[in-house]
Amino acid sequence: MTYKVTEEGNISTVFLNGEIDMDVADKAKEVILPLVEAGKEVHLNLKDVSYMDSSGISVLIESHQKAQEKNTKVIVKEISKSVLKVIMMAKLEQILNLG
Amino acid sequence: MNLSESKDFVVDSSNLKEVRIFSRNVFEKINLPQEQKDELVLAIAEAAQNIVKHAYKGVEETTDTMQIKISLKDEDLEIGFFDKGKPVVPENIQHRKLDDIKPGGLGTFFIKQIMDVAVFKKDQKGWVNHLILTKKI
Repeated sequence: MTYKVTEEGNISTVFLNGEIDMDVADKAKEVILPLVEAGKEVHLNLKDVSYMDSSGISVLIESHQKAQEKNTKVIVKEISKSVLKVIMMAKLEQILNLG
Repeated sequence: MNLSESKDFVVDSSNLKEVRIFSRNVFEKINLPQEQKDELVLAIAEAAQNIVKHAYKGVEETTDTMQIKISLKDEDLEIGFFDKGKPVVPENIQHRKLDDIKPGGLGTFFIKQIMDVAVFKKDQKGWVNHLILTKKI
């Protein structure tokens, strides 16, 4: 997994790339959670994420819940078809902010 | 179509990618919709992840291997997982309730969603755990 972060005002956009599994889930969290902790609105761009398993889904849930604690939000954007399928399998499409 | 392929992987999260590559290569040989192949790869990866995460919980580094065997006999797909980790108590395996939104606990749910049957067998030779996932395809 690789990533890129862009900033615009209070919005941080994290572009994740590759496959997100147990092996890289902590790395993804280390990128996303500090931005949420800092009170940023975080946009997660998943257009280049080709695979996500339950560990990746856990990253999305944890980021979403942390954002709620910090009165900000995490918006998951441009979700690839394969990742959307896993989000829907976990019945999270109504829980996460999908933009 | 009949097919049987197996491969050993050192039990480590860094090898989950190799597990997926092996699975995808095997499913390349089977005439199935890509969407179904992706689901099967996810189920296999989740079961392998459970071995790393649970059967080897607390183990920092190991040279132990797990074996994954994918077999197809006509329409019956069987995927076997063998490991030498802590013995699994099948009764203790349960996924979290879906309305209890929290990180974790989804892997087993995904496996149950994708596969028809998931059972632990006790007939393994030299292994501790033997999980069998089956699906009619």
